[in-house]
This record gives sequence, C-alpha cells and structure tokens, in this order.
Amino acid sequence: MKASFPHMGCVTGYKKLLEKLGHEVIMPDPPSQKTMELGVKYSPEFICFPFKVMMGTYIECAQKGAELIVSSGGAGPCRAGMYPDVHQKVLQELGYNTRVVVFDSLFQDFHAFYEKVKIVKNGTPNYKLLGLAKFCYNLIKKMDKLEKRMKIMRAYEINQGDFSNAWKDIVKMFEKCETTREVNRTYKKALEIFDAVPCRKVEESQRIRVGIVGEIYVIMEPTVNKNVEEILNNLGVEVENVQYISDWVEHNIVPQWLPFPKSHRVFRMSDKVAPLNCGGHDKENMGWVYDFAKRGFDGVVHLMPFACLPELVNLGKFPAISKELNMPIMSLSLDEQMGEAHVKTRLEAFTDLIKSKHFAKQRSTIGDAIGLKAQSAARKVGSKAQEVKDNLAPAPHTPAKQLTK
Amino acid sequence: MKYYLGIDIGSVSTNVIAMDDRYNVCFNQYIRANGQPLESVKKGMTMLKDAIGCEDEDILGIGTTGSGRELAGVLVGADVIKNEITAHATATLHYHPDARTIFEIGGQDSKIIILQDGMVTDFAMNTVCAAGTGSFLDHQAERLGVPIEEFGDLALTAEKDVRIAGRCTVFAESDMIAKQQYGFSKAEIIKGLCTALVRNYINNLGRAKTLKPPFIFQGGVAANVGIRKAFEDEVGEKVIIPKYYNVMGAIGSAILAKEYIEDNNIKKPAFKGFGQLELEFKPTSFECGGCSNMCEVIRVISSDNEVLAVWGDKCGKYAGTSKASKTAGR
Repeated sequence: MKASFPHMGCVTGYKKLLEKLGHEVIMPDPPSQKTMELGVKYSPEFICFPFKVMMGTYIECAQKGAELIVSSGGAGPCRAGMYPDVHQKVLQELGYNTRVVVFDSLFQDFHAFYEKVKIVKNGTPNYKLLGLAKFCYNLIKKMDKLEKRMKIMRAYEINQGDFSNAWKDIVKMFEKCETTREVNRTYKKALEIFDAVPCRKVEESQRIRVGIVGEIYVIMEPTVNKNVEEILNNLGVEVENVQYISDWVEHNIVPQWLPFPKSHRVFRMSDKVAPLNCGGHDKENMGWVYDFAKRGFDGVVHLMPFACLPELVNLGKFPAISKELNMPIMSLSLDEQMGEAHVKTRLEAFTDLIKSKHFAKQRSTIGDAIGLKAQSAARKVGSKAQEVKDNLAPAPHTPAKQLTK
Repeated sequence: MKYYLGIDIGSVSTNVIAMDDRYNVCFNQYIRANGQPLESVKKGMTMLKDAIGCEDEDILGIGTTGSGRELAGVLVGADVIKNEITAHATATLHYHPDARTIFEIGGQDSKIIILQDGMVTDFAMNTVCAAGTGSFLDHQAERLGVPIEEFGDLALTAEKDVRIAGRCTVFAESDMIAKQQYGFSKAEIIKGLCTALVRNYINNLGRAKTLKPPFIFQGGVAANVGIRKAFEDEVGEKVIIPKYYNVMGAIGSAILAKEYIEDNNIKKPAFKGFGQLELEFKPTSFECGGCSNMCEVIRVISSDNEVLAVWGDKCGKYAGTSKASKTAGR
C-alpha cells in the first residue's frame, strides 16, 4: 500500500519502518506555509493548531496518492483524542480514499491496538515484526541521541550553519542504513563529523542553558515552531528539548510504575502542583520545569499551540512556579499567523534576560572562590549552588572530597 | 567630539540619536517613516551630520534596534543589532536606575518590562492585536477629527467618565459612535478612549505580573498626557516620563554599542561612512522555489548590483551570497 505519516521532527525512523513492512512510502514534506493554509481551510475553526497542520500534511499526502496514513494518538481527555476520526472524516468529505490509522496506548485496549497493527504490518509475520521494531527503535534512538548532542554543540559553532548542514548529511547517511550494524557504524561516523566541526571553547560557568517544554507536535517540528531551537543555538544558548520520538516510545511502552525511563520520574515530580493530567503532556512538562530548575538551567521556553487546553493549564501556573524556582519561563503561543520576526525578537530578549541573570549571579560571587567552584560543581551534580557552598564552607581544605559526595 | 549613534527603526517612526562618550545625548530626531524606513534612516543620518557637523571618523560605534534593525544595520554598518526590549530597558536603567516597571507604547507594538536590581526579569509584548497601541489612538483621532497632538490635552478637560469598549479597534469605533449619539462630548469620549487603551494594555500585557513603582512610561504615545493620566489612575502611582521618552530605544542601542565597543576594545567600528548613505539601496524579495517551504527571501542590493544582505531563508542556502553574514545578537 502507498503509506504516509505526519511530518514531526526527524522522520527517518517512520520511513524505514514502513519501507521494511513492504509499503511504498509517500514522503511528507515538512509543513510549509502552503500546508498550513490548506490545513486551516479544511479544519474546524476552533481546533488546535497541530490538527490543522497535520490536516494540511494529510491532504498533501492524499494528493500524492497515499492510501494509508499512520500516526500515533493521544487517547487522553484533550482534543488530540478526536484527531483520527475528524481527520478521517475531512479526508472522506474531500473525496480521498485514504485511511487514517492512529495507534493509541497499547495498555488501554490491546485488542484495538492489535487490529491496527494487522492493517499496518501488511502480512509480515509477527516474529519478523519484532526484529523490525528493534531495528527501527535502535535507529531512532541513535538519531535522537545525535540530535540532542547537536543542540548543545551548535551553540558554540564558529561558522553559523555548520552543524545544521552536517545534520542534513547525517540524516541522508542514516536513510541508507539497512542493518543494525550499519546503523551503529553510521552513528560512530556521525559523532566524528560533529567533533570535526570547529567550535568555540566555553568554560562551564559561562554556559547558558535553556530547556524547551510544550505540546509534543509544536516542540518537535521545527518548521511549525519557527525553528526556535536553532535561533536559540545561534544566540549562543544550549538547548534541551524534552520530547524525542524514542523517549515517547519508551514512556508509553515501559509500565508507569517502573522508575525508568527518566520521564516516569519526571512525571511524578509535578505531583505537588499538578495532581492530575489534563490531557496532553501538561503534567510531564511541569515535571520537566522542576527538573530543569534542579539541574541549574537558566530558563525555560514553553511552546504551546494557540488555545491548547493542557498547555493553557500550565500557562496559568507558570508565573507562580517561575517565582518559586527563580527561573524565567517564557511562553510562546503558536499558530499559523505567527511571524518569524516576532518569535526571534522575543527569543533574543529572553536570551538577554537570562544571560544578564546568569552573569549577575556569578558576579555576586566573584572574589569568593568557593562560590564559583560551588556553582560549577552544582551544575555538574544537579543541585542548588547554595547547598554545595554550605557543604564547602566549613571545610575549605577538603573540597574535593565534598564535591564527589 | 566623538559620538556613538543609535537608530531605532519602528513601524511608524525612525529615531536617530547621537551620544557623546559621557552618555550626553547631543542630537535626537523622531521621524515619521510613512512606510519608507530606509529613506527615513538616510534622512535622519543626513540631518544628524548637518546638525552636529561630524565626519566619518568621529563615529565610534552604531547600534540599531526596532523591527527594521537588521536592514538598517546593513545599511549603515552597525556594531550592535539588538532587540527592542533590551534596548529600551538599557536606556531606562541609565536614566532611572531604580525603575521597576516600564510601559512602552509605540506605533504598532506595546511592551511591558519588569525590572529588578537593574536587570530585566520579565517582559511581554502584544501579539496579534493592535488595540492598545499608538495606531489605535491614531485611527480614532482621525475619525474624531482631532489632531493626535491635541488628543491628550483634550482628554484632560473631560468632566465625566464614559466607558468605551477597547478590545478591538473596529468595535471601539462602533461603541464610540453610540456614545456620541447619547450626547457625550468629544473630550469625554477621548478620555474614555485613553482609559480603554490603558485597560486593554494592562489586561493584555500586565496579566499575572506584579507591577511595582517607580513606573516609567515611554514610546511615542508617552507624549499623550491623557494616556499618562489614565495610567496614573490605573496603577494609583505617579508615572515618570523620561526626558527623551520618544527615542529611548535609539538611546539604548547607542549605549549597548558603546558598551560592546569598550568591552571588546574595538578600534575600528563597522560604520560604513556617511558617503555610503548617498548610494541607492533596493530591498527586494522573492519566493524561493527550492523546496516546499517557499521562503520569502529578502535581499538588499546596492546600485552597483552587489548583494549586501540576504535573510529570510530557512535553510541557509543564500547565507553565503552576501557581504554581511547573519550576525544578529551573538
């Protein structure tokens, strides 16, 4: 069958999986202004922004002849739960004979889940399916690891654009991989490529870090969030995004009561301020904000689609949380009207804000060697600088011992 | 005399200032751009040259800010290209180091900046709506047939309060017509508009923020005493209007340029000289068809067909084709 999927971040993994299952893959283009216009035209007016962008992508894919669109869903109380049915209905009304298959959590209704697997697996025997899943999981895991690394290193590149260009080549390399061995080899090669990019050397205490939280689609798809991560990197800021497809898979496949992956622990970190999950990733995002503060990040950028209910709940809580944690949080509400200049101006101002805060904190401890040491040590172990400083102060002759504690 | 220059290219006005190395403003000019930012930059620079009689080598550094900062930065050769929020805060902190809240209302945007210990701790900018900006007032003044310069003074003569819906420019207008029909005077309606603007501003930007005195009010709209009065009524405190309220952004960018030049010990500024301004510049844009993004790429071309700057491309395809690379902000 001619199969396709929505464009969300790095899509090589999905492409590989569908190809290996014997489908002819119709590659979706990254959402452009045209996609958004198409989506807005055929979507209910008050639905969330990701729905509209995905609608646009689906229509474009259907125009190219896709018969099957595979996506993952959110069987939660937020509007994402009704995406598949409404998407299907709109496509039908437009006269496309395209089927939308959306996978919900496999714990909620395994039977329904397996029914959908049967459609997508295209007659592949189950034992082969497991091997395929393992191969693709390894691929996306490796690619996500590289992407995470890039978003840190790109802040210090000397020639702007080096990392982004290198990343494009790396994606092409991964697309050619057919076996796990090839994937692992490509991963090593990619690391070498990254290390070869000329970078500025910046001291630990001079580094500015920003975490990105928000609705999964808008934080993962750079064309939708106006390339927030690259803009921040170009301003010399390290970026850590909380959503990657491999993390999402782990979070949804590993039972909730286990302490790993980290997202399970983070999920519980927000119990105090967010006892209930309102649908999307609101509780998780709140947990990440706490986690970023604990690790000494300088700020958090919160991206939400215009009128996204779960993130709106978070938006209301952020002013108080930001005060409690003494960490600036900036929210950007995104929709098809959002201009790039608009996002850039705000990010620049936010970067100036956190930079001056970061260096003022440092200046107040200048002349106080313990303070500086404590700060960089605290960044490494992820606790508050003051605690480390308290540990250091009474026994200045044995700081090394205290630090390793 | 040696000078640092600051240029603020906003949506409605272009402001040019010159500052000596002791932070004294020697020249300031507020020019209504009328949709031609490049022309107004040229005009402002020429006026500056004539007014203070300086030569190319007297310029120690230039900073640009505002929505046209990148374009103007390329045109004049700026050392620092900064966003409006940082520029405004820098200038305000220079004149009022103890400031805690800045209200800034310009032509098409309005911002609120919260400061603490001489540092920006929070800020907000209007997003999609022009209600609560200078354009809203401009529009209504035109409708009432009152010159915008007299608008504020007229508001102060009002005896009664009248509530006008200020959420949307169009609905404010229909509400205003209704109130006129009820027999309210022009002055009262104007006062109502001022209050509506401030209410809208505080609701939009001041949400969930603790506003603490001293309050500073700047931007072109600060000339309007009616708005100032409305702000004072709203916050219940005195609102300070700085001396150079309408060119604060430009002053801020000049200060930032000075700091940058001095911190990095730069001997030769990026300034291209006043002669450069005589040349013709043509900003052109085209839609790149290289991929489905269809980026609108903007190119500034000089008269001898040299590409001076390119931006707007998402993939960086054109980044290397110009003289000035994209260096904003770093």
